[in-house]
Amino acid sequence: MILAFALAAAVLFGSGAYLLLKRDLVRVVAGIMLISQCALVTIIGSGLTRGRAPIAVPAGQAVSDPLPQALALTALVIGLATVALLLALVHRVVMVFRTAERDDLAAGEAEHEAGLEAQRQADREEAS
Amino acid sequence: MSSGEPDRPDVIIRVIARMLLGPTLMVAAALVAKGYAEVGDGFGAGVAVALAIALTYVALGGARAEAALPVLRHGPKLAVGGLLLALATGFFPLLLGEPPVSHRPAPGEHVVKVGTLELFTPLVFDIGVFLLVVGVLIVLLHHLAGRDGRDGS
Amino acid sequence: MILSVALLVPWATGAVLVALDGRRRAVGWLAVAVLAATFALLAVLTAQVLAGGSQEVVTGGWPPGVGIVLHADMLGVVFALLSVLVLLAATTHEVLAGIEERVFPGLVLLLAGGLTGLFLTGDVFNFYVFFELAMTASYVLTAYGGGRRQLRAAMVFTAVNLLGSFIFLLSVAGTYRVTGTLAMLDVGERMAVVDPNAALLIATGFFIAFSVKLGLFPFHFWLPTVYAGSSPAVAAILSGAVANIGAYGLLRFGPTMFPAQLRLVGAAIVVLGAVSLIYGAVLAVARGDVAESLAYSAIGQVGYVLVALGVGGPVGLTAAVVYSVVNALNKTLLFLAAGIRGPLVAGAFAVGALSVAGVPPAAGFVGKLEMFRAGIVVGSVPLIVLLTLGSGLSLVYMFQMYQRAFWRAPAPAGPASPLPLRLLTTAVALLVLAAGVWPEPLLAASGRAAEGLLPGAAG
Repeated sequence: MILAFALAAAVLFGSGAYLLLKRDLVRVVAGIMLISQCALVTIIGSGLTRGRAPIAVPAGQAVSDPLPQALALTALVIGLATVALLLALVHRVVMVFRTAERDDLAAGEAEHEAGLEAQRQADREEAS
Repeated sequence: MSSGEPDRPDVIIRVIARMLLGPTLMVAAALVAKGYAEVGDGFGAGVAVALAIALTYVALGGARAEAALPVLRHGPKLAVGGLLLALATGFFPLLLGEPPVSHRPAPGEHVVKVGTLELFTPLVFDIGVFLLVVGVLIVLLHHLAGRDGRDGS
Repeated sequence: MILSVALLVPWATGAVLVALDGRRRAVGWLAVAVLAATFALLAVLTAQVLAGGSQEVVTGGWPPGVGIVLHADMLGVVFALLSVLVLLAATTHEVLAGIEERVFPGLVLLLAGGLTGLFLTGDVFNFYVFFELAMTASYVLTAYGGGRRQLRAAMVFTAVNLLGSFIFLLSVAGTYRVTGTLAMLDVGERMAVVDPNAALLIATGFFIAFSVKLGLFPFHFWLPTVYAGSSPAVAAILSGAVANIGAYGLLRFGPTMFPAQLRLVGAAIVVLGAVSLIYGAVLAVARGDVAESLAYSAIGQVGYVLVALGVGGPVGLTAAVVYSVVNALNKTLLFLAAGIRGPLVAGAFAVGALSVAGVPPAAGFVGKLEMFRAGIVVGSVPLIVLLTLGSGLSLVYMFQMYQRAFWRAPAPAGPASPLPLRLLTTAVALLVLAAGVWPEPLLAASGRAAEGLLPGAAG
């Protein structure tokens, strides 16, 4: 069973990492989503126990550990919040930049770099 | 898929969206009520309702969905109200000199029951979480459906 | 009681303020008042912890081990006080300058709630939850201003830190798997008997997660874009308050939960810190832009914290705490001062620059002194040479920056900023000076915090 969880986690992580390397920001978000699902699967896989819910258990009966489930649930809620946030952010990026491609975002950085170079030029002139 | 004008999705989606909303609310109520003995909680219920609302947005578009269901305009209020409700149930024991997240009626005390539903403060907490999740997701859907791009959530 | 209230106040008011229009003056001032109240509560808590030792609350009245433990010890309250102070300064700055977005005050309060929570919890998973609350608020804050550079910074910051959180979560799962508990003190006890390989793997996971937050050398790639791209107040918040998570995490998780692993790789940590220190300083000299140089300087400065952690022992840990506090104050002052113009500001910036370089009247001197003490205790000549070199480089880049920002003809600067803004910056500068002139409280508190981390300390 643990093998199955490990495989599932590996596949999730692999697909997530692949998507992360894409240019399209929506795919990057999908990649992050998949990777956070991988963490959930790992939590469940690492703490899996079988048995009844630990409420009023008859003596001697196996109890399932509630903690990994609580962890997974909490991580799920947090994952939902962060994905919602990322989507809102990408939406805003699309509105401002009129594109969802990563390279176009970097164009602004190149402009900034050119400004810095001009400033260095000014420094050199001042020094000489 | 795009059949006909872009602003008018399939009639089937619209009918299904309208029909699903009621039953989803029922399922959500069941999820909250059953959460103490079986599978279910406020978060799950909130996500279920938000999914139905998302379908409504897809079917009708932002403006018409919000005209059909005026409650969608109050997403922020729902979210804040829910969070405050949850925080209040979490921290009210401080006033009684108990550690946070204690619940009333305390363990072992008599609990009022309505059918199988037990009326105690964790139920209020779950309702708070439910409202928070629905509210936040409505805000998100509103922004994703809207045309203006200002003001992230 | 105060412990729980200090947690509730920023959280609940933050929830209310998110819904209000933060661009209105009244809302902004309300946020400032709430932060001040939180600071006061934490100060009272600090006094109690100083007098009566650490405090603990188990939620829900459950027995310890079942309920979630809130735990206030010296290290936690020092970091909580520091972070709320930084948030207070940055928010006041922004209110005086005029808030541009409606959600800003509410988000800062939620960030304060998350930070207070994670510094005052005694449970690894609870730490993660508060950590995510704080991070989520700071992701949105990074986009504050709404310009292209801010948005790009927010995208980079969010994506990288979500991956950091993922590694953290994996390590939490691993911790539970091998020890069967998530209470920090119990984890520390049980980690001694688990398979050393597994323990080392988990420790590495936590180390990477916190290094990403802190922007240490091999994980620093996101930091310059983000600090230089976000608006000055947000950059101050990120470097002065949010980065504390990384420093606190390393200090809390390292010595309490993984003492054996920390001893094992102590030398490697010192080397990593040294690389970070030199790399940050050299690039800060090389870059032209003030905000970007400050960002690289931040990478260099956290190198000192890592070196001190690697040295370990009471002296090393005290140095790490002192240096984290001083560094957070410096960065807040510098980022705030770099964003404004006019008389007084140049003086405030100069105080910050002196402090980073470690020149006597400023607080940075105390930090550097503690670092040198740590270097002398381990008797390592290369370490002392390294510290001297780092200080020399920081003097160079700070004054290069000062020259560029304040001596050059005021072509891009425009008119002077409003007086209240300049007064606020001066107040922060005076605080940095005060901490340098009268360092005893800081040293005493840091010493107590370090004591609490060492094995054999009660609570």
